[in-house]
Amino acid sequence: MPNVQKETEADLIPIFIMGKRYLVPESLTIMKAIEYAGYQFIRGCGCRGGICGACSTVYRKAGDYKIYSGLACQTVVEPNMYLTQIPFFPALRREYDYETMEPVAESIYQLYPELFRCVACNACTKICPMDVQVLDYISALKRGDLEAATRISFDCIQCGLCASRCMGELPQYHIAQLARRLHGGKLAPRAEHLRQVVESIAAGKFADVMEELKALPVDELRKLYTERELEPAMSDEQWRPSNNAGL
Amino acid sequence: MKISYYPGCTLKTKAKNLEDSALASLAALGIEVEELERWNCCGAVFSLADDDLIHQVAPVRDLIRARDAGADKLVTLCSQCYNVLARANKLMREEEEKRETINLFMDEEVDYHGEVQVVHFLDLLRETIGWDALREQVKVPLEGLKVAPFYGCTLLRPAEVAVGGGDRGAPHVLQDFLSALGATPVRFSAAEECCGAYEVLINPVEGMRRAGSVLAAAGESHADAIVLSCPLCEYNLGRKQGDIRAQVSGIPDIPVFYFTQLLAIALGLDASAGRFELNMASARKLLQDKKFVEAPATQV
Amino acid sequence: MPYPPKLKELIKVVESTRAERVDRKKRGEEVPFLSLDERKEMLDHHPDFKEEGRRPLKIGPSKGYAIAHEMADLLEARSRVDPDDIDLSNPDIDTDVLVIGGGGAGTSAAILAEENGARVTMVTKLRHGDANTMMAEGGIQAASKGEKDSPYYHYLDVMGGGHFTNIPELVEALVTYAPDAIHWLEKLGCNFSKHPDGRLHTIHGGGTSRKRMHYAADITGAEIMRTIRDEARNHRNIEVIEFLPAVELILNEHGQCAGAVLYNLETQEYMIARAKAVIMATGGSGRLHIQGFMTTNHYGATFDGIVMGYRAGVEVSFLHTVQYHPTGIVFPEQAEGILITEKFRGSGANLVNIEGKQFVNEREPRDVEAASIIKECTVKGLGVPTPTGKVGIWLDSPMIDMLSGEGTVRKEFPGKYILYKRFGIDISKEPMLIYPTLHYQNGGLAFRASSATSLPGLFLAGEVSGGVHGANRLMGNSLLDIVVFGRIAGKAATAYINDSAKEGDLTLDHVRRFNKEADEAGIPSDRVSPMLLPDYTPPKIKERQLTTHYVGTVR
Repeated sequence: MPNVQKETEADLIPIFIMGKRYLVPESLTIMKAIEYAGYQFIRGCGCRGGICGACSTVYRKAGDYKIYSGLACQTVVEPNMYLTQIPFFPALRREYDYETMEPVAESIYQLYPELFRCVACNACTKICPMDVQVLDYISALKRGDLEAATRISFDCIQCGLCASRCMGELPQYHIAQLARRLHGGKLAPRAEHLRQVVESIAAGKFADVMEELKALPVDELRKLYTERELEPAMSDEQWRPSNNAGL
Repeated sequence: MKISYYPGCTLKTKAKNLEDSALASLAALGIEVEELERWNCCGAVFSLADDDLIHQVAPVRDLIRARDAGADKLVTLCSQCYNVLARANKLMREEEEKRETINLFMDEEVDYHGEVQVVHFLDLLRETIGWDALREQVKVPLEGLKVAPFYGCTLLRPAEVAVGGGDRGAPHVLQDFLSALGATPVRFSAAEECCGAYEVLINPVEGMRRAGSVLAAAGESHADAIVLSCPLCEYNLGRKQGDIRAQVSGIPDIPVFYFTQLLAIALGLDASAGRFELNMASARKLLQDKKFVEAPATQV
Repeated sequence: MPYPPKLKELIKVVESTRAERVDRKKRGEEVPFLSLDERKEMLDHHPDFKEEGRRPLKIGPSKGYAIAHEMADLLEARSRVDPDDIDLSNPDIDTDVLVIGGGGAGTSAAILAEENGARVTMVTKLRHGDANTMMAEGGIQAASKGEKDSPYYHYLDVMGGGHFTNIPELVEALVTYAPDAIHWLEKLGCNFSKHPDGRLHTIHGGGTSRKRMHYAADITGAEIMRTIRDEARNHRNIEVIEFLPAVELILNEHGQCAGAVLYNLETQEYMIARAKAVIMATGGSGRLHIQGFMTTNHYGATFDGIVMGYRAGVEVSFLHTVQYHPTGIVFPEQAEGILITEKFRGSGANLVNIEGKQFVNEREPRDVEAASIIKECTVKGLGVPTPTGKVGIWLDSPMIDMLSGEGTVRKEFPGKYILYKRFGIDISKEPMLIYPTLHYQNGGLAFRASSATSLPGLFLAGEVSGGVHGANRLMGNSLLDIVVFGRIAGKAATAYINDSAKEGDLTLDHVRRFNKEADEAGIPSDRVSPMLLPDYTPPKIKERQLTTHYVGTVR
C-alpha cells in the first residue's frame, strides 16, 4: 500500500522508557513508540494483536502513585508516562501427568499448595492487562470450582504480571492453565459424535471414496463441488442433507 | 431486608453436607438468602497480630461484596468463617485507624464501614424465626435422641462475637435449637473445648489426645450423637474418630452431625438433603435406628 | 484514539450519502456484481497478479519461478554465516529430533515425536507459543458430525477454495485426520465451545458446505496453543530453548538433514545442533510486508524456514499466492492490521470512498473485493488519507443499525464494538477505516502427505509448507493444518530415525554451493537471510546507527 513516508502531523510528546526521555508521536501505541525511539525488539513483542502476552508493560503517570499496566501493542502512550516492559517473570510451573491426574481440586492443591498463601489482596486483578478477575479464579479454586476457574480465567494470556505482583508468590496463570485443562478434557462432557467419527475413519470407512476423489479430473471435481448441497446459514443441529452420498 | 449468604470454601468441597442441608432447610422455612456472586476465602483464621492488617483484607472484601450486593445481613454456617467475618466486621466498625488503613489499601473498592451485619445461621434461626416458631415447623420431632452440643472455640470466642446474642452464663443456643427439634440436649462437659484444631497437622499425637478427650466426655454424657457447626471440628471428631479410637482407649463410637443435618431431618425433608454419605457410617444408621429416616433402598 | 477533526470532516461526506444508500439497500438495489471478465480485469489490481510485484528466482531449486520481490530477496540472499567460520565437529546440542519453531505445528510435532520415543529439542526464535497459531480467532475445521458431514465434503470444500490447484494427497491427509486432531485436542483439555451434552458447536466458514468450524469462544488459536504448550512442558524429553532461531540447516555426508546452525538472539552466538531428523515449523511471512501491506501476522512471521529449506535444496510451491483479507483496520493506528470480519459486509455495510460513493458490491469474493479497494486507493486516488500517512476506505457500519434496528452493531459485533470504543470511536455511529491486510502465506516448501520433503531427514508442518491449500486457503483450515501435519511430522520423523537416519560427518557444503550460485548470478552480496526479526526502526534513526557490529572497542 502507499505507505507515505512523510513527517507525521501528530504532536510529539515525552515518554520515559526505563527512565529515559524520548519524544514520540502521541498517537502511537507503547510498542510503536519504543520502536520509534530506535529500539528493535527481541523480547517484549509478539503477536502485536493483544493475545500472546509478550509485551506486558507497567507504567506510572506523572504525579500518580498508582501502578498501571497494559499490553504495549494495545495501549496508547500518554505524556510523561514512565514505563518498562516485563516480558518475563519467573514463576514455578510444576510438571504433572495429565493423563492420570484426577480432575479434582485436590490435584491442584497437591501441585500448588501455595494457592493457600493468597490473602485476597487483589493485586493480581489490579495488574491484569486483560481485566481477568484473577483473585476470583484463585478463590474459585480454593473452593474446588474448576468450572468457574475455567470461565473466569479464560481470557488469560499468561503474561505473568499477576505472578509478579503476588505477595503470596503464587504462579496464578500456571494454576489456571491446569484448571482449564482438567475442566476441558475431564470434567466437561466429551463429544460423543466426534469419537464415533474418529472410529469410523480409523476403521477405513472413507479410504475408498478418498482414493476415487483424488483420482478425479479437475472438471469432474468442479462439477461435484458446484453441485454439493449447502447447509443453510440458519440451520440448527437437526439439519440433515437430502441424501447420504459421501457420508 | 436482603440476606447474603457466604458459604466458605470448605462447604463447597468437604462439607457439602453442611451446606446442602442448611440451604434445603432455609428453603423449607421460607427464608430467602442469596449466595454472594463473588467471594473469596475468608482467611480461615482471624489474625490476632495488631499490625497484620493484610490478613483482614480477605474477610473485609467479602463484607464489601455483601454490601455491594445490597445486603443488610451476611449469614454463614462454618464456625471459622463466621468468627473471621464477624471479627473483621467489628474491627471495621470500631477501630477507625485500622479501618482507614484498610480502606486506603483497598482503593479499588468503595470504602467499608461495617454496614453489613454478620450472623451465624443459628442466630438467623433464633432471630428471624424463633425457637417456638421453629418447633411448630418440625415434622419429624427427634424424640429420644440424646445429643451433645459442641460449640468448640470459634462460635463463642471472643465474647463480642459469640453466637446466642444475649446468652447469659453458659451458652445455650445449641441446646435451645436441639430442644426445638424435639431432641434432648445432654449436659456435656467438653462443649466449649477445643477439638484439636490444626494441631492434627503440626502435632498429631497432641491433636488426637485433645479430640479424644472431647469424644470421651461425650461418651460420659451418654449422648447418642454430637452436633456441631464447624467442618474442622467435624474432621477431628468425626472423620478421624476411627483413627483416634485405634490409638487412644476409652473412645466411644459416636456419630457426629452438623446441626443443619438434624434440622433438615426434623423439618421432614428427604434424607438426601442431609448428604449423610459424607458423614461417618454410623451417622445415618443412628437416624435409621431411631426411625427418623428410612433405610436407603438396598443396592443390588 | 478517536477520529481527528480532519477525518470527522470526511465522515460528514459519508453521512451525506448514507440515507440514500440505506434506502437503496432497503429497496434491494445493489451495486451490480462484476462479470467474470470484469473480475479478471479487476484482479489485475490484486497484489498476486501484479506483474511488477514479482520476479523469477535467479537461483536455487525453483529457479525461474516468479514470486514476490520481498520473498525473492530473501531466497536469493547469502547466508548470515560463513560456513568456513563454523566448526561442526563439536555440536552444542545433540538430539534425536530437532524441531525448529515453537508454534502450534512445532509443538504438536514435538509431543508426537517424544511420545514415539525420541528425545526432542525445540528451538524457537521468540517464546514458545509466539506464533500465528496464538492469534487465530475463528476456528478449526473438521467433519466431526457424521450424520451430515464427512471428509468427502471437507475435501471438496478445500479443493474448491484452492481453485482445484491443491495437491490431492495433502488435502486427503488434512481432511481425513481432521476429526482425530480435534479429538486429540479435546482429550488434552482444550475448552471447545459445546452444547450441554458435549456436542461441539460448529458454524460455517467462507466456502464450507457444512457447518464444521469448531471454536473456543473467539480465542480458538490461543486456547489450542496454550493447551498443547502446557502438555509439551510435561514431557521430560522435550527440551525447549527460546530466543534461539535456526539460521541454516546442516546436512551430513549422506545427504541427510542432520541438524541446524542456531543463533542466540541475545548473546549473538552461533551454536550447532546435531539431530537425527529435523522438523521445520517456522510458520509464515506476513512481516515481509509484501508490497508494503500491513499484516495480521505475528512479529516473528519472517519466512525463515523457507529460506533455510530452499538453500538446502527443497523446492518451493504455491508461493506466488498470498492471502489478503480485504478489510483490516488501517486506523486507529494501534489496531492496525486487525481483521474486520466479513459479517459486517454481510449485514449491509457499504464500502465507500472519500467522496462518500460506493465503488464495489460489498459481497464480491475476497480477492476481488481486496483488488477493488486497492484500485480505488492507488489508481483512482479516492482513498481516505489517515493521520499516520496511509490510506483506507470507509466501511460504513452505522448502516447496519439503520437497516436492522438501533443496537444491532453493538449486539452482533461486541468484540469490535468494544475495541473501537476503547479508542473513543462508536462504530454504530461512525464508519471504520479499512484496507486489505496480509494474512496468510498460501504456499511454502514442497512436501508430501507424510510431511517428508525431497531432503531426507527434513519434515515440515504448518504454514512453512505449500500445497495443502492450493492457491487459496479456507478459514479454519490453518489451525487444522498445523495440528494434523504437526502430528504426522512428529511420528514420521521418529520412524525415519529408526529406519533411515545414518551417522555421518556434518557439512554446510550446500550453503557454500548456494553462495557460489548467488555470486555467479550476480546477486548483490550485502543481502543476508533469514531475516529473523522485522526492523521498524525509523529511517532517521537508522542513519545514525553507524556502528553495525562491535566487540568491546573493536568494530
